Amino acid sequence: MGKILRLNMSDRTAKLEDVPEKYAHLGGRGLTSSIVHDEVDPLAHALGPNNKLVFAPGIVTGTAAPTSSRLSVGGKSPLTGGIKEANTGGRVPPTLAVMGIRALVVEGQPEEKGKYWMAHITWDSDKGEPKVEFLPADEYTGRDLYEVFPELFDRFGDKVNVMGIGVAGEYLYSNSGVVAEDMERRPSRYAGRGGLGAVMGSKGLKFMIFDRTGAPAVKLADSEQFQTGRKKLLDALMEHDITKPKGGLNSYGTAVLVNIVNEAGALPTRNFREGRFEGAAEIAGEAIFEGNKTRLAKELYNHACSPGCVIQCSNTWYNEEGEEIVSCIEYESTWALGANCGIDDLDTVGKLIRLCNAYGLDTIEAGTTIAVAMEGGLAEFGDGQKAIELMHEIGKGTPVGRILGAGTAEAAKVLGVVRAPVVKGQSMPAYEPRAIKGIGMTYAISTMGADHTSGYTIAPEILGVAGKVDQFDRDKAELVRNFQYATAFIDSTGHCLFIAFAILDIASGFEGVVEECNGVLGTSWTMDDVARIGKEVIQKELEFNHAAGLTTADDRLPEFMEYEPLPPHDVVWDVPEETLDAVFGD
Amino acid sequence: MHIELWLYGPIAKYAGEKSRGSHAQLDLELPEGSTMQDLLDRIGLPSEEKGITFINGKLAALPGVDADRSVVLKDGDRVGISHRRSMWPFQYRFGANLTSEIQETFKERPDRGIHHAYSEPEAEE
Repeated sequence: MGKILRLNMSDRTAKLEDVPEKYAHLGGRGLTSSIVHDEVDPLAHALGPNNKLVFAPGIVTGTAAPTSSRLSVGGKSPLTGGIKEANTGGRVPPTLAVMGIRALVVEGQPEEKGKYWMAHITWDSDKGEPKVEFLPADEYTGRDLYEVFPELFDRFGDKVNVMGIGVAGEYLYSNSGVVAEDMERRPSRYAGRGGLGAVMGSKGLKFMIFDRTGAPAVKLADSEQFQTGRKKLLDALMEHDITKPKGGLNSYGTAVLVNIVNEAGALPTRNFREGRFEGAAEIAGEAIFEGNKTRLAKELYNHACSPGCVIQCSNTWYNEEGEEIVSCIEYESTWALGANCGIDDLDTVGKLIRLCNAYGLDTIEAGTTIAVAMEGGLAEFGDGQKAIELMHEIGKGTPVGRILGAGTAEAAKVLGVVRAPVVKGQSMPAYEPRAIKGIGMTYAISTMGADHTSGYTIAPEILGVAGKVDQFDRDKAELVRNFQYATAFIDSTGHCLFIAFAILDIASGFEGVVEECNGVLGTSWTMDDVARIGKEVIQKELEFNHAAGLTTADDRLPEFMEYEPLPPHDVVWDVPEETLDAVFGD
Repeated sequence: MHIELWLYGPIAKYAGEKSRGSHAQLDLELPEGSTMQDLLDRIGLPSEEKGITFINGKLAALPGVDADRSVVLKDGDRVGISHRRSMWPFQYRFGANLTSEIQETFKERPDRGIHHAYSEPEAEE
C-alpha cells in the first residue's frame, strides 16, 4: 500500500504514515491536489510555514507500464495564489514508487533563513521502508546546477536520483521550478510552472537525494489485467504516427509544432503582438533535426527523458563543433525564448534554455517575462545577447533580476506594460488564444492559471461527445470541461500526457490505461470512472481556489486581447463570459 | 497569379534550389483558376508526402482528411504544406480557423474532426 513520507523542515525530522483509505486509489495529481486541499490553508502565504510541497508518483509509475515515469508536485503557488500541480519526468519518478513513497510531503520551515539542507532518502532493508538523513547543503547553494549535479552523483553514486532547486528557488522567484535529472544526469527536467521551486526554497530544502538500492519492485494487485492493459497501450503507442518510433515526436520532438502553429497564424510573437513570426522556421523542430544533421554529419533521432518511455521525444542541440549546447529544446521553450522574444537563432535559444536549467527557472515564464521586459524597454525584441544578459541578472539576483524572477505579471506591473499575457498571474504558453479559441478557454478556466497541459483530449467516449463535436459552436463549455476531467485523470496515472495523442485515436490504448490502473490497484474501473476521478480532482482544486479568493473574475483573459486584433487573422478574443462560466458553473 | 508557398521539413526538397534544408519558401506563378492539385503537380509533391496543409493560415487538409485538392487558389494566397511527420493535436486546433471545405469534411465524419491524426483509413466507430 505504500506510505506517506513527511519531511518537517522546522525541526528536520521525518515521519512515515500509512496512506489513509480516502487516498487509497489516488496517485499523481489526484493525490497532490487532495493533500493540498486537505492540509493547506488556502489563505496561507505560499512562502510561509503553512504551505506544503507534495510530491507524488502516478498510479502506475514504477511498473512496466510504458511511458509512465511521471511525478506530480503540488502546493499553493506563489505565482497564482491558487493550487498548483506541476509535472515532471526524468529518472526519479519510478524511484519514489519503488520505495513505496505514495506521497512525500515537505512541511514547516526552518527558523534560520538562508540556510539550506538536503534530504538523503535511502532504503532501510531491515524495516522494509525508506529512511531519511538531513545533511547541510551549503556547498551547493548559489551555484550553476550543471556544475552541482555531477558533484552530487560523484558523492552519492551514479544510481541515485536528485530533485531540487537552483538559485531561482533560493531567491524565492515565482518563476522557479523543481528540477530532476534526465537519463544522462543533466539538470534538465522540470516540474516547472507556478513557482514551486520557491516553495521548496522557502522550506530551506535544496535537494532530495533518493537511493532506492535494496527496495523491492512495485507489487501488482492483478498481474494479468495489468499485462493485458500494458500491451494494449504499448501497441497503440507503437502504432500511432505521432508516438511511434521515428514518428513525429521521435524525429522532431514537440518543436515540430512550431511551423504548424506559425503557419496557422497562432504563434504568439513579440509579446503576443502577432500570430506569425518570420523567423519561426529557423527555430523549429525541423531546423533542429537538419541543423544537427549538418553539424554532426548524421541523423539524430530523439531520446527518452525517463525510464520506460517508448515515445522518446527529447532532443539535444549541438553547436558547430559538435559539442552539446543543451538538451532539450521543447516547443514551449523555443517559442518563449525565441518567437515571443523575436529571436530567430537556435544557438541563442539553446543558450537561453540552458541558462534556465542552470538557474532553476521555468522556461515558459522566463521567456514571457523577458518578452515583457523587451516591451518595457529593457531590451529590443530580437536582441539575443541582451536576453542572455537579462537571464544572467535573474541568475545573479540583481534588482532587475529579482523583478524578472517574479514572473511575467509582476514584471509587467513594475515596467508599466499593459499587455501582460497572463491568467491568474501565470503566463500563457505557445498558443495564441485569439487565434485558437478552444485553448483560450482552457487558459481562462484552468485551475492552474494559463496552462496548455490541463485540457488534453483523450477519448471521445469519455468526453461524452462522440458524434456531437461541431467545430466550436454548441457544447463548447461541456467539451472544455470534459477535457479538463480527462487530463486530470491522466495526470493521476503517472503516464506522460503524450500518450493522449495515441489513445484518443486508438480506443484500445485507452482501455489499456484503465486496465493497467486496475491491475495495480485491484480496482474495477471503467470509462465512467475516468470521468468521475478526473472530476473529483478538479472539484478539489476549484474548492481550494475559491477559498483562496479566486473568483470567476479570474477565469478571464487579459483585457487587451478583447480589443487588439491579432495579425494575420485580425482576430480578437470574443468568447462570451457566460460560456466561460458554464464550464465549471452549475 | 502569384502564390506564396511554404514547405516544411524534408519536402522542402521539392522547392529545388530554394530549399533551406529544413524548410523552403517559394514564389509560384500559376494560371488563374489553378487548384491545390495543380500546385502539387507543379512542384511534383507526391500525395504520400503531403502533410498538414494551410491556405492563408486556415487549416485546409490533414493526412487522411484530404479536403483541399479541388480548392481554387487566388492571387496572393499563402499556402503552407508540412511533411507527414508533423502534428496538430486536437486540443491545440480546437477553435482555430478552418477552410470551409475542411469544415464540411469534418462535419460528415463520425468523429467530427476530433482525432489527433488520420493517416490510416478508418473503420467506422
